[in-house]
Amino acid sequence: MSFVARRLEFFFITAWAALTVNFILPRIMPGNPGQAMLVRFHGRVSPQTIKALEVAFGVNTDQPLWQQYLQYLANTLRGDFGTSLTFFPEPVGDVIKQGLFWTLGLVGLATVIAFVLGTLIGMLSAWRRGGFLDAILPPVFIVISAFPYFWLGLLVLLLFSITLGWFPSGFAYDLTSSINLSWSFVGEVIWHGLLPALTIVVTSIGGWILTMRNTMITTLAEDYVKMARAKGLSPVRIMLMYAGRNAILPNLTGFAMSLGFVISGAILVEIVFNYPGLGFTLLQAVHSEDFALMQTLFLLITLAVLVAVLAADLLTAWLDPRTRDSAGV
Amino acid sequence: MRRHRFPVVGLLASLALIVGACGGSSGTTGTQRTTGGVLTIDNESGALWQCDFNPYNGSVNGQSFGILYEPLVYDNLLNDKKTNMLASAYAWSPDNKTLTFTIRSGVQWSDGQPFSAADVVFSFNLMKQHPELDLQSVWTVLSSVTQDGTDKVVMTFAQSAVPNFYQIAGQTAIVPQHIWSAFKDPVTQQIKDPIGTGPFTMSQCTGQNITFTRNATYWQTGLPYLQTVNYPAFLDNDPANAFLATGQAQWGGQFIPNIDTYYVARDKANNHYWFPPINNINIWFNTKTAPLDNKVVRQAFAFAIDRASVSQKGEYGYEPPGNQTGVLSPTFDSWIDKTQADKYGYKFDTAKAVSLLQQAGYTKDSSGIFQDASGKKLSFTIINIAGYTDWVASVQVIQDNLKQAGIELKAQNLESNAYFDKLFTGNFQLAYGSLNTSPGPNPYYELRNTLHSGTTAAIGATANGDYGRYSNPAADTLFDQFGATTDTAKQHDLIKQVEAIMLEDVPVIPVTEGVAWYQYSTKDFAGWPTEQDPYAAPAPWNLPDWEIVLTHLYKKS
Repeated sequence: MSFVARRLEFFFITAWAALTVNFILPRIMPGNPGQAMLVRFHGRVSPQTIKALEVAFGVNTDQPLWQQYLQYLANTLRGDFGTSLTFFPEPVGDVIKQGLFWTLGLVGLATVIAFVLGTLIGMLSAWRRGGFLDAILPPVFIVISAFPYFWLGLLVLLLFSITLGWFPSGFAYDLTSSINLSWSFVGEVIWHGLLPALTIVVTSIGGWILTMRNTMITTLAEDYVKMARAKGLSPVRIMLMYAGRNAILPNLTGFAMSLGFVISGAILVEIVFNYPGLGFTLLQAVHSEDFALMQTLFLLITLAVLVAVLAADLLTAWLDPRTRDSAGV
Repeated sequence: MRRHRFPVVGLLASLALIVGACGGSSGTTGTQRTTGGVLTIDNESGALWQCDFNPYNGSVNGQSFGILYEPLVYDNLLNDKKTNMLASAYAWSPDNKTLTFTIRSGVQWSDGQPFSAADVVFSFNLMKQHPELDLQSVWTVLSSVTQDGTDKVVMTFAQSAVPNFYQIAGQTAIVPQHIWSAFKDPVTQQIKDPIGTGPFTMSQCTGQNITFTRNATYWQTGLPYLQTVNYPAFLDNDPANAFLATGQAQWGGQFIPNIDTYYVARDKANNHYWFPPINNINIWFNTKTAPLDNKVVRQAFAFAIDRASVSQKGEYGYEPPGNQTGVLSPTFDSWIDKTQADKYGYKFDTAKAVSLLQQAGYTKDSSGIFQDASGKKLSFTIINIAGYTDWVASVQVIQDNLKQAGIELKAQNLESNAYFDKLFTGNFQLAYGSLNTSPGPNPYYELRNTLHSGTTAAIGATANGDYGRYSNPAADTLFDQFGATTDTAKQHDLIKQVEAIMLEDVPVIPVTEGVAWYQYSTKDFAGWPTEQDPYAAPAPWNLPDWEIVLTHLYKKS
C-alpha cells in the first residue's frame, strides 16, 4: 500500500509542477497575444477595446503575475479554460472537444494495435530465433519505420484511394453525415479510419518488435527459463509467463509514454488524410500565440503522460514483484 | 504548398447582368434550368470549421457573408459593375456627402419575418457600437445612419466618400434586428442557427463540412437553381487538390502546382481554370531610410528586376508580371495610361539600372556591388513570409537579378506574425508582399492604401496601409479628389496622374499580380463565370461574390 501512496504523492507533485511550467512557458515566449490581436483586427479597434478583449480572453497583462497564477489554477480546477484566440469566440473546451474524440479513437487505437502486434511479433521471433518469422518481419517493419511518414502516407493515399478508389481520400466520416450512433455511421468511421490507422501501425510497429525481441532474447538465456524448461512446462507457458512476462517490462513503460502522447495527435496523419484531430489544432495554437488553447492542450498532454506512467508503474509492480519490494523497503 | 491567398475578409466583386440575377425576374423563364443538384466546393480552409455564422467575425465570415447574409448592392471586384441586392435603388446627394438607399420590399428573413429598412439601420449602428465588428472600417467615414420613412436609409458622411460605397453597400452584411438585438455581446456571440436573406440556408454543420440548402423563399424568385451546396473543410492544400482532381468537388479556389497535368488533363473537356489578377504583390521600400529615400535608387531597382522571370520561376507563371503603373492588367486595363508607361519604359534592363546608380554617384567595388562615396554598400535586407514558398522562390529570383545590377539583397524569411508586425510598424528596409487590406473594384482602392499618407503611421506605430511610409501631398490630393467625384471620366484622369507618380517616384515595385484561384468542372454544372463573362470574382473565397456565382450555377440536364 505504501508503494501506491508514494506513486500517488509523486504523481500530484509532478502534476502541480507541470501546471506551473505550463503557466510560465507561454508567458516567456516572444510576442504577446495583445499584439497578435491588434494585427488580427488590423488597427480597427482602439486600445481600450483591445484591453476589454484581453480581459475576455483572460490575458489581462495589468494583473500581477501571482494573481494571474492563482486565477489560472482556480480556473483549471473548475475546467474553465478560457476563450480561444484562433477560434474566437469559441471556448477552448469546445475546440478541444471537436478533435479529442477523433484523436483518441484513431491514434489511440492504432497505438494499442501497434503495441500488441509488435510485442507479439517480437516475442515470437525471439522464441523462434532465426526462424521464418524472425527472418522476415522485424527487418521489413524496421525498414518501413524509417520511411518518412509523409511520404508513406501520400503513397498509400495515392495508391488505395486516388488510383484504386478503394478507400475515401480524407475526412473521418462521409461528408454529409452527422455524428450519430447508428451502425452505418460506425461503418463509415471505420472505413475512413482504416488507411490512416494502417499507416500509423505500419510505421510505429518496428520499434515495439525490436525492443521486445531484444529483451526477450536476453530473458530466454536466464536461469529461470532453463529451470522452467527442465521442469517440463509447456513451451507456450514458458514463452508467455516466464520469458514474456519479464521481457515486456521495458516495452510497457514505453507504451505508457506513447499513450500519453496520443493526445498530442498525429499531425502528419491529420494533414495527409485531412482527418480531424488535436495535432493540427495544437500547431495552429502555437502559430497564432493562442495562450489559452496552447496551455490547455499542453496540460492535457502532461496529464495524460502522468496518468499513463502512473498506470504503468502500478502494472509493473504487479508483474514484477522485485519493484514492489525495493520500493517498499 | 503555399497558402497564400486572400484572407477571407477580402475580396469581392460583382455584377451580373446576365442571367438576370438582379431583379428577381430572371431565371424563371426561358432555359430549362431546373432546380436541383449537389455542388461541392473545394477550398483549403486551413482548419476545421467552427460552426459559427457571424458575418462580422473576420475569421468565419467566409462561411456566411453572401450565401446567408447579403449586402445592399453587389459591386463586382473585377469591373465595378453594380447590381442592387437588398437595396432596390440608391442615390448620392449633389455634394456626395449623403447616400440614400431605397430598401427592397418583399424580402423575407429565412425564419419568415419580413426584412425592412430598420434591419439595415440596426446592422450599421451595431458596428458603430462594436468597432470589432466593423470589418471594413465603415465608421471611419460615416457620420450617421438613419431611417427615413418606411423604406429609406440615409447615410451621412463628414466628407465626400464616393469610393467607400464599395465597403458600405458591397462589403457589409445586413443581419436581422429581431435576432441580433437579443445578443448581450455580439462580439463574443456564436451564431449557430443563422437567419439571413440569402439564397441558401445553413442546414448542417460539422467540423468537416457545412451543408447549405436552397432557400425556397429567396426574394429572387426561381433562384437559386442548386438544391444543395457542400463546403468541406481542408486542413492543407494537398488533400484539397486531390479531392478536386478526382472530381469529388466541382468548384475550386486552390493553388495547384502543374495544374495542366494535375487537374485539367484528368478531364480535358470539362476541367477548366481561370486566374484573374486581383491585387499586386510588391516590393515595399522603407522610404524613410537612406538610401531608399532616393527615388533614383528605387528606379534602378525597377529596371533591375526581371518581373517575367519572377512570374515564371516563382509563381509557375500563374501570377502574371506586374507593371510599374500599379494598375492591374488585364483586370483594369481601361485605367492604364499606356503613353506614360511607355515613356518611362520600365522593363528588365540591367544596364539601365547600372547607369542610373552611376549617375546617382555610386561606384562598384571589387566584389561588383555598388557603394556610395563613404564606402557604404548597396546592401539590403528584405522581409518575407517563410510559409509562402512561392514568395520565397520569387525573392530568390529577385536577389539574383539585383546582384547582376550590383545591389546585394539578403532575404529574411519570417513566421507570419513576426512578418506582419515588422511590415505594419515599418521595421524593415525592403519587404515583399501585398497590402493586407481588401482590394477593390477599381485601381483607386489598392493605390490609395499603398500611397496615401493618411493610411500610414510613424515608424513603430501600426500602419493600415502605405507600409513604406511614403508621403507625397500631391498624391494625397489626387486620392481625395477621386473620393469626391462620381464622374468616371474625371476618376480615370485622376488615376492617370497617380500612375505618373508611381512611374516617377517608384514608391513600391509591383512585381507580380496576385490572382483569384479558380477551377471549375463543366461536367455536371453550367453557368460558371469566365474570362468572357466575368459576372463575379470567381474564387469561392471571394466575398460576397460566391453568392452571385452560386445563384448562376445550374445542373446540366
